[in-house]
Amino acid sequence: MARTPDAITDRILRWSGVAVFLLLWETAPRAGWVDPYFAPPFSAVLGAFGRLAAEGTLASHLLISAWRGLSGLAVAVAVGVPAGFLLGRHSPRAGEALEPLLRLLSQVNPFTLLPLFLLFFGIGETAKIAVIGWVSLWPILFYTVTGARTVDPLLVKTARSLGVNGGGLCRTVLLPGALPTLFTGVRIGAGLVFFMLVAAEMLGANAGVGWLVHNSAMNFQIPRLYAGAVAIVFLGYALNRGLLTLEQALFAWREAPSEAVTGRAARHVLRPGKGGAALAAALLILLFVAGGWEVRRVNLAAVSGGHSHHGKHSLPTPERIEEEKQLEQDLNGWEPFTDGGKGK
Amino acid sequence: MKRDISIIGAIPLAVFLALWELLPRAGAIDPVFLPPLSTVVETVVGLWHGGDLQTHALVSLRRALVGFLAAVALGLPLGLVVGGWFPRLQTALEPLMELFAQANPVVLFHIIILFLGIGEGAKTFIIGWLCLWPVTFSAINGVRGADPLILKAARSLGVGRLRLFVSVVIPLAAPSIFAGLRLSAGYAFIMLIAAEMMGASSGLGWLVIQAQESYHVARIFAGAAVITVMALAVDGILKLIGLWLAPARDTEESRPLGELAANVKER
Repeated sequence: MARTPDAITDRILRWSGVAVFLLLWETAPRAGWVDPYFAPPFSAVLGAFGRLAAEGTLASHLLISAWRGLSGLAVAVAVGVPAGFLLGRHSPRAGEALEPLLRLLSQVNPFTLLPLFLLFFGIGETAKIAVIGWVSLWPILFYTVTGARTVDPLLVKTARSLGVNGGGLCRTVLLPGALPTLFTGVRIGAGLVFFMLVAAEMLGANAGVGWLVHNSAMNFQIPRLYAGAVAIVFLGYALNRGLLTLEQALFAWREAPSEAVTGRAARHVLRPGKGGAALAAALLILLFVAGGWEVRRVNLAAVSGGHSHHGKHSLPTPERIEEEKQLEQDLNGWEPFTDGGKGK
Repeated sequence: MKRDISIIGAIPLAVFLALWELLPRAGAIDPVFLPPLSTVVETVVGLWHGGDLQTHALVSLRRALVGFLAAVALGLPLGLVVGGWFPRLQTALEPLMELFAQANPVVLFHIIILFLGIGEGAKTFIIGWLCLWPVTFSAINGVRGADPLILKAARSLGVGRLRLFVSVVIPLAAPSIFAGLRLSAGYAFIMLIAAEMMGASSGLGWLVIQAQESYHVARIFAGAAVITVMALAVDGILKLIGLWLAPARDTEESRPLGELAANVKER
């Protein structure tokens, strides 16, 4: 994109809203307009963020959350994409027939499913991954069905008349044809994964960014709570923006008509070669393996004593465990979030 | 033809329900974990006769409705005015609004509790907050996406600014707005249950979490079923209202948990 002065002022204007908001966040608690205990100034939040990052706990939580999210999404893609092709392309009659049932299932509230999955799978990782996968399955499945249905029939017929059939047809015509729509489904699914991931970690976990926020709220570590929240908001935004940009770069040829109206210049088309694709895949696998290892470490540590996640260097000493038990008992009397209103 | 499809669609639904009834009865699945459909229905009926169901459903509906209406009352004018009259303000606010819309509501809930306590205020606020953004964005998009040809035609016919807005721009934006409203209502329901699970002493979400804590599995299923039916009903009603008030174009918006995108006509 050419950096004309016009584009730069536009950029400044775009981010002025955010800048004003951050400025207010900094000044309002300092000036005493809001209670700085409940709303610490932005710099204090950044400080807490820095401490978390320096301890290495933030990276660990992020890695664990990323692993859970990736696992859920992988399950959803592994189930949704083949099923979508089956229902959209292979047997469209079955797709039509199953529509009401699938619509019903997709409307089931994921939060009511969480207790059921906990019942079926226990409090381990499986329940969380199952509910995350469930939530992201539906957009992926439905968009794949649409994508598979709307592959240009002319292309399919041409390929058939050239003798391409079965697996070859799938790989060279159907999959590329359905990919743009499919990718939209994955993008929406990834957003839902992130939403549900944080929620699931709050309702039962011993690590992860959702747990970080929940735990901070329980212990009234307000700056840490805000630091976790800022990290989550930023991650969600980056995930959404990144996938959107990737989608537009990969499928720029399928320009939306509304953008043609706004008259923006055609985007640079990204054409990943084999190297780029391999690099992306390697990064994902690395993240997956490292995350899996970290999850295992934290869960083992939780089993063998410390009830929570203390970073790498603090082994739970007997005093510390005693202290925490006491704290927990103190908190249990009035803890507002987890007792589900039993106290009332 | 249309009838045909709905009959075919009823078959898998019936099979699903029949399996739900038969598998636990035959012992293929442990009925402790998956109670047969009839038990779940009995539980729903029992809750209804006990009066619990109506009480909690009404409490939940009221929370969702208040939050939703507040979001509409705030977001609709905001979106229409910002989208229609202040394009530069829109540019300045867009990233901020996007960040706010992206802010995970479950996380936000914890922060809102700090300010508002765990009473009704926090729950209504979080639902309203969540509903606000789809409504605002859809209003902005609807206004921005209004066909410039129609606007020019109206203007060349001497239509004044206010009149143009009321009788041309708003009808043009209506389908997009209604898509946003349905999206909002879906979010409202999901978040409502989450908020009630995290801190409440009434409502359907509380009913489910309470059942979980006392290992009353049939009640979990009953609560889940009632919540699903209510969400479907609300969505259906909004869809009908949308079709009635703004039948113009069909809009393809992604629903929170995936509108069946497969409805797109085959070429």
